[in-house]
Amino acid sequence: MSHSPSHGSVVPPIKMGLAIPNSKLCLWLFLGTEIMFFTAFIGTYIVLRLGSKGWPTNPDVTHIKVFWGGLNTFVLILSSYFVVVAHEAMNQHNFAKAQKFLQMTFALAVVFLGIKSYEYYGKIDHDILPGRIAENDYQAKKKVLSESEKMVSNRLTGLVKQLNSLKVEYAKPEPANDQAKLRAVIQDAVGKLKATNSPSLADYEGFVEMDKAFGEMKQAILAEQITASEVGKKLSDLQANAQWGSYFKSVHAPHPILYGNIFASCYFIMTGFHAIHVVIGMILFVIVLKQGSDLDGKWTDFVENSGLYWHFVDLVWIFLFPLLYIL
Amino acid sequence: MHDDHGGHGHPNYFLVFAALCGFTVMSILADVITLPSYGVKVVVVLAVATSKALCVMSWFMHLKYERGWKYVLLAPTTILALGLPLALTPDIGEKYYTLDVPQVDDFAEASAHAAEHGPHAEMPAESGTHVEAK
Repeated sequence: MSHSPSHGSVVPPIKMGLAIPNSKLCLWLFLGTEIMFFTAFIGTYIVLRLGSKGWPTNPDVTHIKVFWGGLNTFVLILSSYFVVVAHEAMNQHNFAKAQKFLQMTFALAVVFLGIKSYEYYGKIDHDILPGRIAENDYQAKKKVLSESEKMVSNRLTGLVKQLNSLKVEYAKPEPANDQAKLRAVIQDAVGKLKATNSPSLADYEGFVEMDKAFGEMKQAILAEQITASEVGKKLSDLQANAQWGSYFKSVHAPHPILYGNIFASCYFIMTGFHAIHVVIGMILFVIVLKQGSDLDGKWTDFVENSGLYWHFVDLVWIFLFPLLYIL
Repeated sequence: MHDDHGGHGHPNYFLVFAALCGFTVMSILADVITLPSYGVKVVVVLAVATSKALCVMSWFMHLKYERGWKYVLLAPTTILALGLPLALTPDIGEKYYTLDVPQVDDFAEASAHAAEHGPHAEMPAESGTHVEAK
């Protein structure tokens, strides 16, 4: 049915589209793409986990503690509640209340990221990172060997460089990183430092002793004479040395985690992208909070849309929590 | 979960928040207490997560009060989102690690070790498998 305009009567303009603000429609379209984005990761995780015969689930191995995940779930749920109250306050033109609740939401987002950082620190500290996890006995031993070798090499290079400041003359090895020639320089330097009764002599003698102990462990690993747990014990012995044991502190004990790399990849990609979304949500809140006392009704849609985005961030975590922390 | 104040109706958000907290406690309890089987745990935990998601979507995101556009907008994205895992499951989901990768042999060895020495020995350090690390 159509109405033809006539003189003296006002025809209301035809309103096209949906009865919601364009910004809200755009936000929902964006959330539609976001659903697919996160489902791709979550779906991939489920598929990979189903396809793997095993999966590390022991919290002592994975360093995923349900307490921290549960606490973060509570933090996000509370922040979702605060943001919805803030939006309600905007509708009631109570802008001061809206500001207050948005500030609390922002503070909770900071708490969430703080807890997440603490969890990440635990994994980084134990080297539970994609591509760095030994999955079996052999890889675990090789990892101890390569980390120890790198540390010894750094110490060796450092001590040779230090000879310049000690005014000890030596022939620069060619090529400069030739480990055997660098070791010969140290051996020669020990004799010279002994002759001058240098206070640095202990460092160089300590290195020779450390290098010998490391060499024995290396030999045993390469000859496949010891198991991973025996390597772990040897490493503990090296770390316990009062003079140079501290240099071995950065070497990770051999703890093979079967399917650990695929687990770590899934964990970091899901929680990492979620954390990025948290940061983006915080930026949206800062934009509103920056208005201060100028906050008015014009911002109601913006607060509603930011809130919808924030609820989505909460929604993603609602699924990540059971999938990563409980199952 | 509806609260009318002076004829201006809106959901009782605090009640939704309390329900979400209750669901979270249920999830944690499912982890702490011993359920009959792992399958039961999966069903319980995912059912609780879905309930939480529905609470957030219905009341916090106001989808319960939105009109029919929500179905038009969310149905395609949901279908596409489910498409990826469903498409991958028959192939990767059932046999991601092929028979000649080290994890499969190591897992078999670890399982045998666990059966012999108890569940805490599920990741033994002495698998004896000689595989070149990259």
